Amino acid sequence: MGRRIVLWIVVAVLAAVGLAPILIMLAKSVIVDGWLSLEFYSRLASSPRQWTLLGNSLILAALTTLLTAVVGLPLGVLLGKTDLPFRRGFATLFSIPLVLPAYVTAVSWFDLLGRDGLLARIAGAAAARETSNWLFGLPGCVLVLFSTFLPIVMLLTMVYLTTVSPRLEEAARLVGGWPRTLRGVTIPLILPGVLLAVLLVFLLTLGEFGVPSFLRYDVFPVESFIQFSAFYNFGAATAAAIPLALITLGVLVVERIFLREKTYQLRPAPQGVGRPSIELGPAGRWGFFAAVAVLCLVIVVAPLLVLVIQSTSPSVYLDALARAGDSLLRSVAFAALGATLLTVLGVLTGYLIHTRALSCWRVVDSLTIFLFALPSTVIGIGLVSLWNRPATNFIYATPLIIVLGYVAQYTGLTSRIMVSTLGQIPPSMEEAAQMAGGRWFRRFSLIIAPLAGRGVAAAWLVAYIFCLRDVGITMMVYPPGMETFPVRIFTLMANGRPSLIAAMCVILVAATVIPLTLLRFVFRPARPV
Amino acid sequence: MNIIEVQSVSKVYGDRAAVSGFSLNVAQGERIALLGPSGCGKTTVLRLLAGLAVPDSGRILIDGAAVATEGRNLREPEERNLGMVFQDLALWPHLTVRGNLEFGLKARRVPAGERRHKVRKMLERVRMAPYLNAKPATLSGGQQQRVALARALVLEPRVLLMDEPLSSLDIELNVRLRREILKLQGALGFALLYVTHDREEAFDMGVRVIVMSGGRMAWAGSVEDARDYFATTSPTP
Repeated sequence: MGRRIVLWIVVAVLAAVGLAPILIMLAKSVIVDGWLSLEFYSRLASSPRQWTLLGNSLILAALTTLLTAVVGLPLGVLLGKTDLPFRRGFATLFSIPLVLPAYVTAVSWFDLLGRDGLLARIAGAAAARETSNWLFGLPGCVLVLFSTFLPIVMLLTMVYLTTVSPRLEEAARLVGGWPRTLRGVTIPLILPGVLLAVLLVFLLTLGEFGVPSFLRYDVFPVESFIQFSAFYNFGAATAAAIPLALITLGVLVVERIFLREKTYQLRPAPQGVGRPSIELGPAGRWGFFAAVAVLCLVIVVAPLLVLVIQSTSPSVYLDALARAGDSLLRSVAFAALGATLLTVLGVLTGYLIHTRALSCWRVVDSLTIFLFALPSTVIGIGLVSLWNRPATNFIYATPLIIVLGYVAQYTGLTSRIMVSTLGQIPPSMEEAAQMAGGRWFRRFSLIIAPLAGRGVAAAWLVAYIFCLRDVGITMMVYPPGMETFPVRIFTLMANGRPSLIAAMCVILVAATVIPLTLLRFVFRPARPV
Repeated sequence: MNIIEVQSVSKVYGDRAAVSGFSLNVAQGERIALLGPSGCGKTTVLRLLAGLAVPDSGRILIDGAAVATEGRNLREPEERNLGMVFQDLALWPHLTVRGNLEFGLKARRVPAGERRHKVRKMLERVRMAPYLNAKPATLSGGQQQRVALARALVLEPRVLLMDEPLSSLDIELNVRLRREILKLQGALGFALLYVTHDREEAFDMGVRVIVMSGGRMAWAGSVEDARDYFATTSPTP
């Protein structure tokens, strides 16, 4: 099969799985009793509560974004550019909250600061009441989502630092020290990439519903979910989802206009060129080490440790596995299947975007990023709109609908990983294969895919982790008796024993951290191509 | 009879004309050096011939049949039976020397026995037979050049395109490999189109020299005429 045919099939799959649900949802939101109507929207616009919710969502997203940017950029520079001790270990530790469902972090903070939490046992009920009041509301949500999304800014800063040519920094260092070089050369060069990360944090926070729902801070995605699940008012749920989709679209249009071409230009500097590292000096090294260690302890280690402490009894783990072992197995199976499909699609989509083989490559790129940034509740409602009909029950009533949801939301992740990977393979590799007479499939399978092997493995693992942690989409579409492990935890959170919830969270952490460890091996320095 | 005919071909990248109204005929066994400074369009000419770039105007014919015309390739690169040695050599790092040479033969469904024979014979010609199972990364620069050359020639192309293949080597090795390429060309009889920015290299590798400037053919003639031309003018290369 020729290259163009395969790539057009990929485009068709993306359109059917990702775009069609959103369009159908949009259409359904403007049809009432078979007639075109804006009734749901006028109800939405005239309700003061909806405006309050939207305001809450925007405030939460803005504060979380500000905090992650202010902390994430310097942290990324410290971990990616200096001789700070234990920096690889720190980078891994700080990344853990990102790969867990955000509500797990919320549960762990609740176990620490809640009325019956660890603090209550240590400092007394009065102090715990204060911290609990603080946790339930905007500050708690900001804290949890800050620790969850901090790694996005930190990791992308670290990645983009590798794109700065060492020669440019060396030229600057001849006329000024490192602080001036960072301010005047390095950071301005990576700024488009960092801003992209910041926008991503804004959108992901805006779409988050697990944490605000648990910490009882009313935001727009929760409203959409409640309309759907509690009242089954599909039109209202859809109408409530549309503003979030529009904000996402607006932010991505801004990103497209001001940042996209600049971030495309950020490519890894040639391998073999020594990258200068900032020497912090003895005082600086240990001073910064202490600061980073304290931050890591507070926002990552302490909450996770509390979960372990809350669930020390082996019988709790046995109980957790007895109650939810089946959903754990299901989660792993669905995540593995989803990751495999996402990797195949990501490789082909990444190839399409990288080579610009079809004229619609920009549209495909924008669509996958849009779907990734879209609140999961919106995608969930879209999937229900499209597939909940008798003719497609073989999909809707089976776990396939969950996997389709994964594909819709996370293809942007795997395709971006592949675009970056393929960018590091010289075009002459495929051209040489073409000159040797290899047809496209042969070139792709025998030359490109093996050369991109590490990227393919990384894409699979990242996709697996994101499928495993998914709550938003799964919660909206899982068929009866097919709930996944994160959904089981989420539904038990309302009335389950804290020790049982903590044990389940620890199991989920383990199921996620094991592949994360594998990911570190995948990303160990390799021989240059 | 010309193997390749390039008829007034142009190629534009963005708002920059890489090649303008370029014409060229290549006959069987001929040696042509394309000489010019960086950015003059000589690599683009090779890529157009190979089919890796599509002309915006003009036509390219191989054996009298059009293979590319305005805005489209009529025959894809893998269907043109041209050999090419890239500037960065483009040896596939995950394959052995044998794997690199066998790739094209397998694509053409050459039987296994014949494939092995062809690979061994070609590696003997370039004095790389002992390295059959070596990975490219373990070879020296000169050895990698020989493997790249062998990979292109094992498919028995009638025309070999070489894009500044020796530019990264020291002068001594550069000269030695030039001798080896010329020896192979004499023995196998393929036409050679050799791109370089180095005047002496061009005089050595070509019988005919084409000087390019600003995407156009600035001058063309024999090596002897080229020496006179450069002696009386002070062109860029």
